[in-house]
Amino acid sequence: MILAVLFANAEGNILIERFHGVPAEERLHWRSFLVKLGADNLKGVKNEELLVACHKSVYIVYTILGDVSIYVVGKDAYDELALSEVIFTITSAVKDVCGKPPTERRFLDKYGRICLCLDEIVWKGYLENTEKDRIKRLIRLKPPTEF
Amino acid sequence: MAQPLVKKDDDRDDEADYSPFMGIEKGAVLQEARVFNDPQLDARRCSQVITKLLYLLNQGETFTKVEATEVFFSVTKLFQSRDLGLRRMVYLIIKELSPSADEVIIVTSSLMKDMNSKTDMYRANAIRVLCRITDGTLLTQIERYLKQAIVDKNPVVASAALVSGIHLLQTNPEIVKRWSNEVQEAVQSRAALVQFHALALLHQIRQNDRLAVSKLVTSLTRGSVRSPLAQCLLIRYTSQVIRESGNTTQSGDRPFYDFLESCLRHKSEMVIFEAAKAITDLNGVTSRELTPAITVLQLFLSSSKPVLRFAAVRTLNKVAMTHPMAVTNCNIDMESLISDQNRSIATLAITTLLKTGNESSVDRLMKQITNFMSDIADEFKIVVVEAIRSLCLKFPLKYRSLMNFLSNILREEGGFDYKKAIVDSIVILIRDIPDAKESGLLHLCEFIEDCEFTYLSTQILHFLGIEGPKTVDPSKYIRYIYNRVHLENATVRASAVSTLAKFGASVDGLKPRIFVLLRRCLFDSDDEVRDRATLYLNTLGGDIEIDNDVSDFLFGSLDIPLVNLETSLKKYEPSDKAFDINLVPREVKSQPLAEKKAPGKKPTGLGAPPSGPPSTVDSYERQLLSIPEFANFGKLFKSSAPVELTEAETEYAVNVVKHIFDTHVVFQYTCTNTIPEQLLEDVIVIVDASEAEEFSQVISKPLRSLPYDSPGQTFVAFEKPEGLPTTGKFSNILKFIVKEVDPTSGEAEDDGVEDEYQLEDLEVVAADYILKVGVSNFRNAWESMDPDSERVDEYGLGQRGEGLSEAVNTVINILGMQPCEGTEAVPPNSRSHTCLLSGVFIGGVKVLVRLSFGIDSTKDVAMKLAVRSDDVNVSDAIHEIVASG
Repeated sequence: MILAVLFANAEGNILIERFHGVPAEERLHWRSFLVKLGADNLKGVKNEELLVACHKSVYIVYTILGDVSIYVVGKDAYDELALSEVIFTITSAVKDVCGKPPTERRFLDKYGRICLCLDEIVWKGYLENTEKDRIKRLIRLKPPTEF
Repeated sequence: MAQPLVKKDDDRDDEADYSPFMGIEKGAVLQEARVFNDPQLDARRCSQVITKLLYLLNQGETFTKVEATEVFFSVTKLFQSRDLGLRRMVYLIIKELSPSADEVIIVTSSLMKDMNSKTDMYRANAIRVLCRITDGTLLTQIERYLKQAIVDKNPVVASAALVSGIHLLQTNPEIVKRWSNEVQEAVQSRAALVQFHALALLHQIRQNDRLAVSKLVTSLTRGSVRSPLAQCLLIRYTSQVIRESGNTTQSGDRPFYDFLESCLRHKSEMVIFEAAKAITDLNGVTSRELTPAITVLQLFLSSSKPVLRFAAVRTLNKVAMTHPMAVTNCNIDMESLISDQNRSIATLAITTLLKTGNESSVDRLMKQITNFMSDIADEFKIVVVEAIRSLCLKFPLKYRSLMNFLSNILREEGGFDYKKAIVDSIVILIRDIPDAKESGLLHLCEFIEDCEFTYLSTQILHFLGIEGPKTVDPSKYIRYIYNRVHLENATVRASAVSTLAKFGASVDGLKPRIFVLLRRCLFDSDDEVRDRATLYLNTLGGDIEIDNDVSDFLFGSLDIPLVNLETSLKKYEPSDKAFDINLVPREVKSQPLAEKKAPGKKPTGLGAPPSGPPSTVDSYERQLLSIPEFANFGKLFKSSAPVELTEAETEYAVNVVKHIFDTHVVFQYTCTNTIPEQLLEDVIVIVDASEAEEFSQVISKPLRSLPYDSPGQTFVAFEKPEGLPTTGKFSNILKFIVKEVDPTSGEAEDDGVEDEYQLEDLEVVAADYILKVGVSNFRNAWESMDPDSERVDEYGLGQRGEGLSEAVNTVINILGMQPCEGTEAVPPNSRSHTCLLSGVFIGGVKVLVRLSFGIDSTKDVAMKLAVRSDDVNVSDAIHEIVASG
């Protein structure tokens, strides 16, 4: 299960968050835990360089893309390698939508699109699509090219 | 004239650095949402408003029921638009708004229409939305379409239906299970993702049918699986099948091992890792099976990708717990990871090295860790400290360098939790390794000279008060303690005064000097410090006659669990009647039922040793001696762990602790009444000792009253032959008078009814007469014992299906002795093993046991038992215990 996907800006404010199977009362805890993790470790990290951590039986893979830090949390089948696949899909899709690693402004400009991409990539805690070109078509309601 | 083309500057947005959502306000956005009702829909504008709504929802904004309903109704109007972009947004916002059941009906028909649309993408999205918002009744209506969709030519439609199936399986399993033929077909799909989703769903549908899963795995491992993700799933299901089948083939090979091994050569790293992990997780994995997996993990250790390095080191860390030798090949790569930028990786590498290192490599490793410690965060340091503590308990001879390491890091900068972890570790090492006591106490003394944490200072002072007086030269600690009186805050000063007084009370030679110091404290600026000094001077000085109770209270350890004292104090209402400490329940409250039901739960973390409460026996002893009937039983030799006599979640919960004295055995029954409407009175346990002939009952002490959820105790004492490990079986019946309690007033009725409750039987076994006392160096201890006291014999333990490890555990449990030097752990598939045990037999006789086990191909286990002890009779007794066990 992919427990959470979270986007935050440089100040640690949440831009998008999606939780799956995480009780509402634990979300705040996760939010602040992840943002702190990023604040402690993401300084000076190159775009899309993956960082990884685990907390009990839960894995966290996170990275930075332009002004935006991205966190993916998973457990069970979604271990660090599966999550790196998920985050790779997410970063490729975001770069595709924004044209390059986004500034916060550009990210917000493309907010709707990014939400749609996320909707195609993770669906209620499961990875659904992995290829950026396909996602790009799907968010415009175009069938995939290989079909 | 045409405008000149202006090149769009991509960096423009960096300059205008304001957010497009700046000043966004829910009320205004809801107003804007009225555009959804326009007869002429502006698709672009509607998309923008939906984006704003999404942004608000993502920022944690909530809509009231009325607002959500209004927005939802307006959104449904957007189905009229033929704009594709807008339609895609509509699907998303409907899911985000998650409408209530009575609203869903509004949108159902539009979605059903889309589900049958010729446009594939409408179908896919409509399926996803419908499955998200639908309930069981609607599902039966759309089931037919969903089944078709699973085998749809368009992979997006098929995937949408399959992933919906995965979610619906949680809520409507019967319906989804009917789709298994279609799903089976989809598993063969040429589209990689469809195959992945279909495999996941098919496995979930069949997960309770072992045979079906096994067939699925068998067919797929032969065929080709397209996506690496599906391949990972297949590996996981394969290891499940291997785990459940549990047997090897006639040739001794494990079924499917070849498949796992072949996956180690897959082109995708994810698959390679999954296979390596599956192999390392195999039950009773052999070194031969492990080798190829360890080799690929070793390669990953030097990968440029942090995720791969992390995954590899995490897996190797786990392997190191069971097969430390298999991981030693990776030590060099692992050592280079100590400097890894990602501190999670570095910490895992360090803790793995600490597990795989042998006694000779400890010093070198410690040197490396010292450099590493300075640049990691406290949370990682704590993990390392815990690993070092385990290492020290494993190699007690190395306590010097490990203790030095702990004391060095104690002096460096660090937060409270980190410092506490170090102090706790030193305290545990002092308790478990007698040789480490003196140096450990001195390290703690030096630490409090410059400790910024009041809590830790007082904890250490308290500990010094208990352990310091028992050392060879207690006087050397006084200086450190007295310094606190000068240099610290009032809390620490008061604590130091108490510690000084404990030294004075326990060491007569120091008393006069302690008096001088305590007198100086009489002029302290803080009243608590002055009061304590006055109290101790008077009680120790002998000017005032004090009875033993007072001195016990002041200088003994408090035998009441603090939690109970706190609860009682909170319940106490100020009145004429003084608070009576004797009424505070003394038993440690048993775990909540939910935790009790999960016996297989393993401790998390790095397997730090349970910090056994060494003071439990003391507190039991004091508690028993406070009961006049038991006062002449002499010194308490051993108290067992509580044995449950009732099942979890029964009306009355009863557990028993067996207290062994030289000539007596006392059963302490702790009873809990879990029925709020009942009050139990005159609670007593009737014990039938007909199967324990050498025991004769002497005392039975009833419990006057047992209100709801407030545990109480009743005791039964037996006389037994002096100094002998007499065994026997006792059956127990709980007898009591039950009175109804009025739930509103909480008052019990006057009349009660007698009742009985059958409890489980209880046995006194030989292990109850042996104390678990470890030795730090078994060989020295063994050789220092008289060889003439040695008794050796051989035993056949018969066939052991579970291998040596089970046989070793059985014998350890029969004897109830302390395994030494980690010899209780048997490496999987070993053919022979030696286990070293140490203990103290009733009467205070030291015993050492050396067990050598061997197992042959028919799983027949033979054991050689050698015993040495201070008393030859005890050596013989140990053999008798094993022979009759």
